[in-house]
Amino acid sequence: MITLAEESTNQERLITVILFAALIALTLGVTAWASRHTRSATDFHSGGRGFTGIQNGFAIGSDYMSAASFLGIAGTIALFGYDGFLYSIGFLVAWLVALLLVAELLRNSGRFTMADVVSYRMRQRPVRTAASVSTLTVSVFYLLAQMVGAGALIALLLGIEEGETYLGMSADTAKIVGIVVVGILMVTYVSFGGMTGTTWVQIIKAVILMVGALLVSLLVLAMYDFNFGSLMNDAAAASGRGDAFLEPGQRYGVEVAGDAWQTMVNKLDLISLGLALVLGTAGLPHILIRFYTVPDAKTARKSVNWAIGIIGTFYLLTLILGFGAAALVGHEAITAENSAGNTAAPQLAEAVGDHFGGDFWGAAMLAFIAAVAFAAILSTVAGLTIASSSSLAHDFYNSVLRKGKASEQEEVRVARFAAIGVGAVSIVLAVFAQDLNVAFLVALAFAIAASANLPTILLSLFWRRFNTTGAVAGIYGGLISSVGLVFFSPVVSGKGVDAEGNNLSLFPESVDFQWFPLENPGLVSIPIGLLCAIIGTLMSKESDDERFARLQVRALTGAGAERASSH
Amino acid sequence: MSTTHSRPGPEGPPPDGDLESRSVTMHDDPRFVELRSRLLRFVVPAGIGFLAWYLLYVLLSAYAGGFMSTKIVGSANVALFFGLLQFVSTFGIAILYSRYTNRRFDPLADELREELEGGPTVPGARKGEDA
Repeated sequence: MITLAEESTNQERLITVILFAALIALTLGVTAWASRHTRSATDFHSGGRGFTGIQNGFAIGSDYMSAASFLGIAGTIALFGYDGFLYSIGFLVAWLVALLLVAELLRNSGRFTMADVVSYRMRQRPVRTAASVSTLTVSVFYLLAQMVGAGALIALLLGIEEGETYLGMSADTAKIVGIVVVGILMVTYVSFGGMTGTTWVQIIKAVILMVGALLVSLLVLAMYDFNFGSLMNDAAAASGRGDAFLEPGQRYGVEVAGDAWQTMVNKLDLISLGLALVLGTAGLPHILIRFYTVPDAKTARKSVNWAIGIIGTFYLLTLILGFGAAALVGHEAITAENSAGNTAAPQLAEAVGDHFGGDFWGAAMLAFIAAVAFAAILSTVAGLTIASSSSLAHDFYNSVLRKGKASEQEEVRVARFAAIGVGAVSIVLAVFAQDLNVAFLVALAFAIAASANLPTILLSLFWRRFNTTGAVAGIYGGLISSVGLVFFSPVVSGKGVDAEGNNLSLFPESVDFQWFPLENPGLVSIPIGLLCAIIGTLMSKESDDERFARLQVRALTGAGAERASSH
Repeated sequence: MSTTHSRPGPEGPPPDGDLESRSVTMHDDPRFVELRSRLLRFVVPAGIGFLAWYLLYVLLSAYAGGFMSTKIVGSANVALFFGLLQFVSTFGIAILYSRYTNRRFDPLADELREELEGGPTVPGARKGEDA
């Protein structure tokens, strides 16, 4: 059995640190290059709209395959088996919503942000304010989950044990240093490199992530003579769960013997999660703004096709990685490092490296996968930061505060400072939240996107009667209901402690004000968001057939759509 | 760029009165109605189809554990094949959609766009090639 801490010699850490430094140097070099090409607002927010379908497909994949998704799904499969796979399928199927209903129409009708489309035929200030609030909430929640994870992950990847120090850092200091370093890097990518820099950082990450996942998967399969069946059998046998490891119900929709109520709640929770994943993806602001980085709607379609191919392949590889970790690293060795299984993939890389090349290659593979995870963190947080700063500068500052009178230079300057502001707030929040259980924030971000953003985008494109009151009510209704329901759910308070005495809720175990039983609000908040949008619309007489006609013609034909900048 | 429109604000369409009024007329043009129905003819059934197919998968995972754990080949059970079929259907719908739009949607959309914008667009500007 291998645990990171036992095997973590200084040599291993040295390789990890060197790879981290090389990655930082490479991405900063790209940022410096990109900053010389970032002048206009179109350059800053949309990278000049000159990316190809493949490039944008990789960047979309990169935004989406965060460290949480790479390490988290592999870890869930390693510990719970089939249910990790079930989870990944929701993330993949979701892309059809983006492909069929959102990507091309958004590219044609908008300019820089989601609010451009939603506010097209509405009164600007209330709708843009609402869209900006929702964008910031989704992005900051998602950002917080990634950054808290990043701190813990960097400490783990460096293998610093309790009571030990490395480069003068204890595990706790390393966590904080990790959060601060990630925060400073993401702000640097975004405020200097804009969307061009961010996109290239993402493309680099997607390439090394795919190479890393493919390499480790091939090595795992090679150890089983490319017989997936025997890998599965080994994984099930080593998991301690037997055949149940290969069946649904170990992690989601768990049946609790003798507790029919809890069993029903768990099953509804699974359905609620599935809905939020499938309907949330096409409403995530950092994904939506990627569709503006290509020259036209056809290229937006191509980039989603590439993203589907890359993401789908990646999740199939994750199945091999998860089963491989269960079989070759083992349940106990994984949970000894991290109870959620976040280190399963790096531990597996070390195990296969050891097997084929001895200690040195084990250390090298561990360091390589650690660097992949580090890159995954950096690129996702950069995407979230630019989504927040674009919305703050373009929607809130320019359209709401300055009533659209700010010059392009002014808007770009504000966006750069907004990135610094968002970064500073996230660093502070993440440092305070570092010991809290914030994993639920990712699912919450998807639920808000599905409840507040997707319905208003689709209604504004397809419902003639839809108006300002409806859009505002839909966004706030979906946002408040999803956040509110989670606040009164067991993830925030009253879930109790697990077998090892770890608190399962956000608040200390002594606090208990939960009354909403589901941990995922989507099942209730998505219908609430939609209903608010419809009722709000019907309560107001406002409607503008002419502007609806213009929006729909522009969205479908691309007439008048924003062009790529030609410098 | 200043705007002459009172309501749409700064991020409305560019102040190209011609394009705007032509777009409003275009909305009732039978060719545009045909364009919209060509899109919806694919998107609506495909959308309902894949959502129902995915929901069926999630519901079976939640409530039909016995069926899902039926072994088919070796230890590979229904759940595994059902999951892999979700990948197949996702890739398949993406491919079918792209072929459909290339054949049935894009040519008509291009025709209407060129007519609205007044002649074919400058290729260099659309591709964003470096000058």
